[in-house]
Amino acid sequence: MLGFFRDGFFKDFTVLMLVTVIIGAIFSSGVAWAVDSYFGDTIDGMIGEYGEFDIILHIREEAREAAERELKRIAAEQYPGAKVDQTITIAGQANFFFGFPEEFRTREVMESLPAIFNGIPGINGYTVIIEPSILIRGVHSSVRTELTERIEAITGVRFAFKDGVNMLVVLEDMQYSRDVTEQVNQILDEYQILELRFPIGFEVDTQLTGEEVIDIIENEFGPKLLKNVTSLEHGDDLDAFLTALVEMRNFLLSYASKVRIQADPNIHLIVGERLVVQGLSDAKIVVGEESAQDHLVIEVLAVEGQNAEGIIIEGSIAAAQDTIKQDIYRLRSDGLITERVGSVELENERYKLEYTINESLKLLHELDELAHEAHLAVDNAEAILDVFQEALIQLDLLQIQMRKLNEGITQGNAQSVGEQLIISLLLNGLFKNLAAANEEQTETPIETLENLDIEAMRSSLVNIADQIANVQEIDVQAIIYQIEHLRDSLPQMEDEDIGKSIRLINTYLAGQVIPGERVQILVEGEPLDEKVMEPIIREGLDNPYVNTYSVSAGMVNPDARSEILRLLQEIRATIAGIMAVIFTIGILILDHATIFSTLKWVLGNRRKIFTWIFGAIVGSVILTLVYILSGAEIPYVSIPVVIILGLMIGFIVVVMAEKFSPVDRNEIMAGQALGLSNVQIMREIVIPASRPGLMNLLNRWKQQF
Amino acid sequence: MLEIKNLSKSYGKLKAVDGVDMKISRGETVVIMGPSGCGKSTTIRCINRLTEPDTGEIIVEGKNILELSDKELLKFRRKVGYVFQHFNLIARLSVLDNVMFHLVLAGLDRQEATARAQLALAKVGLANEWNKRPGNLSGGQQQRVGIARALVGNPELMLWDEPTASLDPILVREVLDVMEELVQTTKTTMVIVTHEVSFASKVADRILLMDKGKIVEAGTPAEVFGNPQSEIGIKYQRLIAS
Ligand SMILES: Nc1ncnc2c1ncn2[C@@H]1O[C@H](COP(=O)(O)OP(=O)(O)OP(=O)(O)O)[C@@H](O)[C@H]1O
Ligand SMILES: [Mg+2]
Repeated sequence: MLGFFRDGFFKDFTVLMLVTVIIGAIFSSGVAWAVDSYFGDTIDGMIGEYGEFDIILHIREEAREAAERELKRIAAEQYPGAKVDQTITIAGQANFFFGFPEEFRTREVMESLPAIFNGIPGINGYTVIIEPSILIRGVHSSVRTELTERIEAITGVRFAFKDGVNMLVVLEDMQYSRDVTEQVNQILDEYQILELRFPIGFEVDTQLTGEEVIDIIENEFGPKLLKNVTSLEHGDDLDAFLTALVEMRNFLLSYASKVRIQADPNIHLIVGERLVVQGLSDAKIVVGEESAQDHLVIEVLAVEGQNAEGIIIEGSIAAAQDTIKQDIYRLRSDGLITERVGSVELENERYKLEYTINESLKLLHELDELAHEAHLAVDNAEAILDVFQEALIQLDLLQIQMRKLNEGITQGNAQSVGEQLIISLLLNGLFKNLAAANEEQTETPIETLENLDIEAMRSSLVNIADQIANVQEIDVQAIIYQIEHLRDSLPQMEDEDIGKSIRLINTYLAGQVIPGERVQILVEGEPLDEKVMEPIIREGLDNPYVNTYSVSAGMVNPDARSEILRLLQEIRATIAGIMAVIFTIGILILDHATIFSTLKWVLGNRRKIFTWIFGAIVGSVILTLVYILSGAEIPYVSIPVVIILGLMIGFIVVVMAEKFSPVDRNEIMAGQALGLSNVQIMREIVIPASRPGLMNLLNRWKQQF
Repeated sequence: MLEIKNLSKSYGKLKAVDGVDMKISRGETVVIMGPSGCGKSTTIRCINRLTEPDTGEIIVEGKNILELSDKELLKFRRKVGYVFQHFNLIARLSVLDNVMFHLVLAGLDRQEATARAQLALAKVGLANEWNKRPGNLSGGQQQRVGIARALVGNPELMLWDEPTASLDPILVREVLDVMEELVQTTKTTMVIVTHEVSFASKVADRILLMDKGKIVEAGTPAEVFGNPQSEIGIKYQRLIAS
């Protein structure tokens, strides 16, 4: 092995390695740089040149032209000098840049962005990209005003403004970025939001609890600047998801068949254990035997004394309409029924639900008919009222006629005394008859009739008619259809499925903190350690379930562009890393494999382990140096990993060297027989015969023939 | 000038050469014959250490070849001409370069090397083909280039490993003619491995018959072919008679 490298070949090889590594580094970083600058340009194209634009407006594609016209109008009329430019359209959404002229880059303008762009046709929102700026994420509303004031006092800050839950700090110049970031971080450090979370089910008066907690803290740590700032802002998505899961479980639970167990005296049921019931099966339960396929298996969910609740996890009582009362037994995990533990009541909730729905459907059908009939009735009533009123008027007229008649009689205007008498008698008789029918009434029937408020009656009738019309307008048929659909599409879930779902949800929820009420305390100055706080607050509130978290009042984020540039930097480093690997494999196969196969042949089979080691080291040296020199960095790949990868690549190439680069043994043997040294054989015979490549090129310097 | 003592070489369990002894004087032409696989090639390859023997001694002018340093070995090889069965020419080099390149690499002036190479090529009748690539020559011509290459260093010892074995029968003659002439005109010591019985009878001072890694018979062609003692010798005798 060493002999092979004597007389100059070592030098040749060192030069080869050096050049290989340098070219590899240039190649890898070059490719990475090219990709990087390509993307860099693309990004400039996407988000504009630095500081050119302040806002990206997202517009529905179909409204693009209208939006553009409107934006240009706003630019021309309200903010002379403003720039509008269209950029890429992604997934049905067009994007416009909007850049305010310098004098309009103020907090007032930035905070009124929603108002300014509200009327743009097809607007789907906007993203603020004003530069140079620092983004503070998640600024708690309780500190926003104070924070704005303090941040605007920092040198280099032009102004700060609210953008949703974030705050953007606009700088005079990019050069202030680091200093301002540092100072903003210092300011943010002075605010701490101590958050107490109560598990679900706890009803907490956030006001009172907040005051209580402040007292507890001050008792423990002396007076501090504390404020209850519990906000009504909603928790994050996970919280929402967990809440949804809890709701889902509750729904499923209410939907599952009810299993009420009455345990026998001396029997203690425990949560989670399995019991078995005959259910609707024909197979009787026999202690000491195995349970049948269609027996109901029940898991105990809750135990209170001798009462327990459970859920069916195998089998179904879907066909049952009435409550089932049966004996219940213990079930061993191998399926053996061991003993009677009590009795159970099973109720098919879904049957009950279906029943209820069917009942209400009947009702709805009736309502529909009723409305129809009522409408007819009102119409009739109106007609009757009309007749009635007509009759009343007639009655009035009659009375007047009769009064006149009476007067005429008494004044002797009648034709004859006989006639007068008869009429008088008749009239008196008539009035008396009417009076006799209603002796207790103080008013005469006529008066009663006259006192009826016909108009009021009419208007209330009209009201009823209207309401009935409303009922008819509500498309009762459609509602009936919907409810029927609901009934039919009620999940055709068996108890078994419900049971399994509930268990699945329980398993998932077991590891999660279920969001409940929360109380937030703003702590100014020295922050409190939530780990220390937790036991104190638990004790103080006498509630062992409350959890304490420390939330920052805001988090400084690098701005979008530097974030993207950082990302690009990462991508570049990764590409360089990948290129280093590709380069190493390539150069080993194309160039070094020739050396490897020569070495293997010259050293012979017995010393092949040396060639393996040699190849592995060569691979590792090339890869590692190229990797480091090209500034490569693949995420999660550390230098030792690169070294090992290089060893592996080198080893594989050495083992397969003859496949990649066969050498002509006859020529080598001729060289040996002619008294050529190994380096001469390499230079004059092996390398010139190999593939044109780096090694071949370098060899030209030394090659004599 | 060359003495081999108890030379052995094994490939795994196979004893390719099994205790060979021979003594060759300066200017002598020794032909080694024997059936295929009996260890002839291995034996002569051991002489210039193209194959490293396991045991034994190879003494050339009082020096044990097996104990030479790397540098001394190279120097020794330059004085030994070696002709291969498969010619082993360098495909990418011209005929002339094939014949002279090792001289230049050994430090000889290019011009002188060229002159000597042209002379050697003339000796094998290829003076006009100097500019061709080996691939454009016939097998016989290629082997003659191989011979010229072996000759050009004015070797004191020439080793021939079946120089005609891979040639068309009609091309064998031209190579044998060159060889015969060389044997007759130069005083170089020659060790020739060949199957050409009549050629061997004509040029050999001594014939060694090998079988299974051992020398089974040695003597002048008349002795070996006229009155063979070994099984192999008897076979060769029959071959000539037929
Ligand atoms: N490099 C090697 N590795 C393994 N075995 C070998 C090697 N070289 C030769 N042998 C074996 O050693 C034995 C002797 O081989 P050698 O080439 O010396 O025979 P030979 O007499 O020259 O035969 P031939 O007339 O076929 O050339 C043969 O069986 C051969 O297979
Ligand atoms: Mg042979």
